[in-house]
Amino acid sequence: MKKHVLRAGLAVTAAAALIALAGCSGGGTEGASATADPKAKVTITVGDEPTADKKADRENFLKKVDDFQKLYPNITVKPSTEYWQAQTFQAKLAGGTLPTTMNVSLTYSKQLIANKQLPNMTPYLKQIGLLDKLNPLALDNVKDDKGDVYTVPYGLFSVGIAYNRAIFQQAGLDPDKPPTTWDEVQQYAKTIAQKVPNVAGYAQLTTNNTGGWMLTTMTYSMGGTVTDSSGKKATMGAPTEKALQLLQDMRWKDNSMGSQFLYNQDDIRKAFAAGKIGMVLQAPDAYDQAVHNYGMKPADYGQGALPQADGEHGTLTGGTIAMFNAKASPNELLAASRWVEFMNFQKYFDQDFAVASAKADAASNTAVGTPGLPPVSQSVYDTYLGWIKDEINVPREQFTGYIDSKLKLIPEPADAQNTYATLDPLVQKVLTDQNADIKQLVTQASTAIDRNLAQQR
Amino acid sequence: MTQTLERPSTGISRPGRPPRRKRRLSFTGWFRSGGFVAVLFAVPIVLTFLYFSWGPVVSGLVMSFQRTNLVAAPVWVGLNNFAFVLTDPELPQAALNTVYYAALGLILGFPVPIILAVFINELRRGSWAYNLLAYLPAVVPPVAGILLWKFFYDPSSDGIFNSILSWVGLGPFPWLNSEAMAMPSLVLYTTWAGAGATAIIYLAAIGGINTELYEAAEIDGSGIWSRLWHVTLPQLRNIIFIMMLLQLIGTFQLFTEPFLFTGGGPNNATQTVMLKIYKYAFVNGDYGSATALSVILALFLCLLSVVYYYFTRRWSPS
Repeated sequence: MKKHVLRAGLAVTAAAALIALAGCSGGGTEGASATADPKAKVTITVGDEPTADKKADRENFLKKVDDFQKLYPNITVKPSTEYWQAQTFQAKLAGGTLPTTMNVSLTYSKQLIANKQLPNMTPYLKQIGLLDKLNPLALDNVKDDKGDVYTVPYGLFSVGIAYNRAIFQQAGLDPDKPPTTWDEVQQYAKTIAQKVPNVAGYAQLTTNNTGGWMLTTMTYSMGGTVTDSSGKKATMGAPTEKALQLLQDMRWKDNSMGSQFLYNQDDIRKAFAAGKIGMVLQAPDAYDQAVHNYGMKPADYGQGALPQADGEHGTLTGGTIAMFNAKASPNELLAASRWVEFMNFQKYFDQDFAVASAKADAASNTAVGTPGLPPVSQSVYDTYLGWIKDEINVPREQFTGYIDSKLKLIPEPADAQNTYATLDPLVQKVLTDQNADIKQLVTQASTAIDRNLAQQR
Repeated sequence: MTQTLERPSTGISRPGRPPRRKRRLSFTGWFRSGGFVAVLFAVPIVLTFLYFSWGPVVSGLVMSFQRTNLVAAPVWVGLNNFAFVLTDPELPQAALNTVYYAALGLILGFPVPIILAVFINELRRGSWAYNLLAYLPAVVPPVAGILLWKFFYDPSSDGIFNSILSWVGLGPFPWLNSEAMAMPSLVLYTTWAGAGATAIIYLAAIGGINTELYEAAEIDGSGIWSRLWHVTLPQLRNIIFIMMLLQLIGTFQLFTEPFLFTGGGPNNATQTVMLKIYKYAFVNGDYGSATALSVILALFLCLLSVVYYYFTRRWSPS
């Protein structure tokens, strides 16, 4: 009997120990209501330090760290090469191993806010006076229902079409006239495929959620939406079917899309920079990577606005936000806010700083003056461009179609990454299966999105 | 001629012993006989094992009943996560793909290391060079190997495989870009990557086969195929069963190859159960559904192992 009691006792103790172990994880978003001391000695970690192979970029970054620490002697900055990667981001966020602040894709903003995975930054941004300087349109992407701000949007853009000017010339097309409608895209792609050997006239992103991302963009450009404004239901229909039909026609009837149909963002930018693709949907930030990392000639890069169908409808907004760690203390969050302001906004309000910063960027071959949506008011942004005009190394005249565009900016769909992931197979299907039933695919995807949105609630 | 050897009887009967008295368990006796010291030594090991090995297992089990993103407070949702993953319209295809991969791996990939090991074993000279060549792919890190093979699988006519096949008038093939060819392409890579390392294990097992069996077979006039069929394979039976079970479990956990080669495409043709678990957790941030599907997969693998054990036990010599 004693033995049984001993065994039972041991089993209960072991179970209790295991449950205690299991309950070790957890966290919260405390700290938002606490006050921060601007003079407190504090150490923060900041992400996006360039890796050692990018020597000039790294030196430039570390110099900015030194300058910041001189400006704020009570703040110690520990740089980290951590940067946003879709594959590991959620795990590191959950594990609490991300830096105090780092740059993240705007796509995550609404999802992270809804999931309470971000600290409320309103008090800190107010405390340093940054909140009033931000573009109110951009701020809409990073607020909750109560109007509290959780991240800082700064590298904003809308999706357009990138094209290779040299390939346009070889195909007898005018490199200063990028396509503005989807009919023109189809026609130009056919011409390129016929006249320039071994080049895909048009290529499409398809994997790692980028297929869904671009199908959403095409749907917007054809007058449709993917989810409703309340984020409860899928709203795809004729415009999405039309977008898929266009891709299917270009692939199977025109044979103008080459032979590779499994492209992620890096692979397609490499292929574009290598001159294997005539046109591809991209935001202008592709320029820096194509030229700086993959050796494309600056003169070959061209950027137009997102082509439209049946009138003007709009384009998808995207970009970068500065994200803050939910597990950081109020003093750390205040210091991190100062760092974000220093790195991304001081240049808009301090001429000397703007010029010095642009000179340093240009010296390390980083793109200066890439077109995009201003994170501050348009007049402040124009003044800034005037200050740094001598340092601008991006051929902005090759972006005229994009810069002059007045397309409506449409935010991303609800539960963006999950929705994009659901749409990836649709794009892959029409590009790899000649007999794909588009209507059925869209219906099935709508059901799957509805189901995912219900699970999120 | 056979003789049964029996233990000779000694003819001495054992003297009668008094019935053994049941020893009473006393704490002092247990302490004096070193029981406490034994527990003291065991505690750190047991705790470490519990924390690092069973901690995550139990934690995962608990999480499968919660909605959690590991930052905000978790919410208990009962069996909702299990219901959600089991009604996922993509799950049947992911499960079928996984089974398809396992079947292809068994049919195409499993015999290769056995054949390789027998071939190397039969060589009189230079077997070390073949050993080295066979094992070399195992030295290449999987990510590097996969990126390399992505170039080989280039679907254009300039792709390496397509160029080679064009010499004999074949192709170009779409490889990873075709729903039909994507999974066999993954099996081809995994066979290349894994066959060498497995062949080394078979080679070691072949080395342990009693040479007298081969000599007897040769005296009886057996050729190489007969020796292989009647001596080598039966002698390797146990190791073949174990390797087959390990391969089965490994194939059901397929992740790296579809993740890096195709991302699960085209049109979910290479979507596997593990890839779905990954997407739940690290794309959607839905750790509850991810752990629920992991628990289901773990239960299925346990069941598979038990069934496999009972089926193969009859054929095992031991």
